[in-house]
Amino acid sequence: MKITIEKKDNAITVIIAGRLDTSTSVQAEKEFQTLYNTEAEEIIFDCSELEYVSSSGLRLFLSVLKLSRSEGKHVFFSKMNDYLKEVFTMTGFTSLFEFK
Amino acid sequence: MLLGQFHEIMPRLQQLEKLVVSQLESELSHQDIALSGIEHRIKTEDSYIGKLERKGQKYQSISDITDLVGVRIITFYTDDVDKVAAIVKGLFNVDWKNSVDKRKRQELTSFGYNSLHYICNLREGEFSDISFEVQMRTTLQHVWSAIEHDIGYKGTVRLPPEYRRQFSRLAGMLELADDEFSRLRTTMNKFRRHIHALVESGRLDEVPLNSDTFRSFLEMKPFDKLNQRIAAVNQAEIYPASLLPFRHVLESFQLETLGDVDALIRDYSDDAYQLALAQFAITDLDIVSEYIGLQNLCFVYVLKNGGGRTGIKAIYDILYGPQEGNADLADLIVQQASQLPFYQQNT
Repeated sequence: MKITIEKKDNAITVIIAGRLDTSTSVQAEKEFQTLYNTEAEEIIFDCSELEYVSSSGLRLFLSVLKLSRSEGKHVFFSKMNDYLKEVFTMTGFTSLFEFK
Repeated sequence: MLLGQFHEIMPRLQQLEKLVVSQLESELSHQDIALSGIEHRIKTEDSYIGKLERKGQKYQSISDITDLVGVRIITFYTDDVDKVAAIVKGLFNVDWKNSVDKRKRQELTSFGYNSLHYICNLREGEFSDISFEVQMRTTLQHVWSAIEHDIGYKGTVRLPPEYRRQFSRLAGMLELADDEFSRLRTTMNKFRRHIHALVESGRLDEVPLNSDTFRSFLEMKPFDKLNQRIAAVNQAEIYPASLLPFRHVLESFQLETLGDVDALIRDYSDDAYQLALAQFAITDLDIVSEYIGLQNLCFVYVLKNGGGRTGIKAIYDILYGPQEGNADLADLIVQQASQLPFYQQNT
């Protein structure tokens, strides 16, 4: 799994390529620390190259959402493939996140 | 000389102002009284000089001037003014001789000045020798006072009787509005208690569906049983979420009472569980949102009542606003449901 973080204007875009499962979530959590305590108003997860997300990955997204909200930031998901849409829908998490 | 004393005392006035405001804010918050605002000021030098020019002969020393520090507490309702007054009495020593209840004035246009003014001192500490003024009034009284001041109603030019009559009528109207807001709040609180009692006693058919009643209904955790049944498929954790946004979806189904919502749960839970089972059983996902039960109930309701893909998309439009991806999400749900008996029986 590879994570690329790009900062532009008021937004941080996080491109996750590969699988976000139990083991890679640990690495991702460390890399996501740079998302906090910034002046960015939006965090956008670009899911165009995300192949798979497990419950650990969902929990990681939830923790990013919680921390970001406390800083007044919005969290968006973009370029979701059908598989990811299905995961978010069946778990009821479509209602918790915003999509672009 | 009095001006010199004013400059000397200024640092103490600043400390006193901070202490008084801090104590008031803390206690008002603790007592859960919602306020429109708390304003505070130290009298400016110009205002102080103006006061000395108008009434200087009254004052022997600076301690005779009781409003060098002023705090104004602005409430939403008239009956909260008395609650705030009780709090002020509890916190500080009140100089009753110099305090005024201007609400008892009889002038026809006195609405804006119908404040309660307490002259107070701290009960103890190094600043307890300096008096300060606490004014308490409603938002409408405050607005009126500001407008009256802006128009210059109390200026040096005496206004003709027809203008004074207009002021009088407006003052009366605002006073009436103030009383009616208080009465309305009391009525609303009684209504909420009544609804809460109906919900708790299970008389849900008598309770109309709206934001207040739905909130009370959710306190009974009506979707927990279905959520736990779904979560048990994969021993999943249920992530808490507010279900309030779904009220609009339920209203779009023409459900009118909490009894209708209860019937939805009773009549559609089994099929909602089957839909969730079809989604989850082939995954290893062990976390779901608290939305899951109500969400699937709504999907099943739409599909069993002929709503189809359009109806599912409408649910997403209500929850998230019209977005491009809503149609794709609707397609997914229809696809998942298409293998299930309840869907096949209804199409």
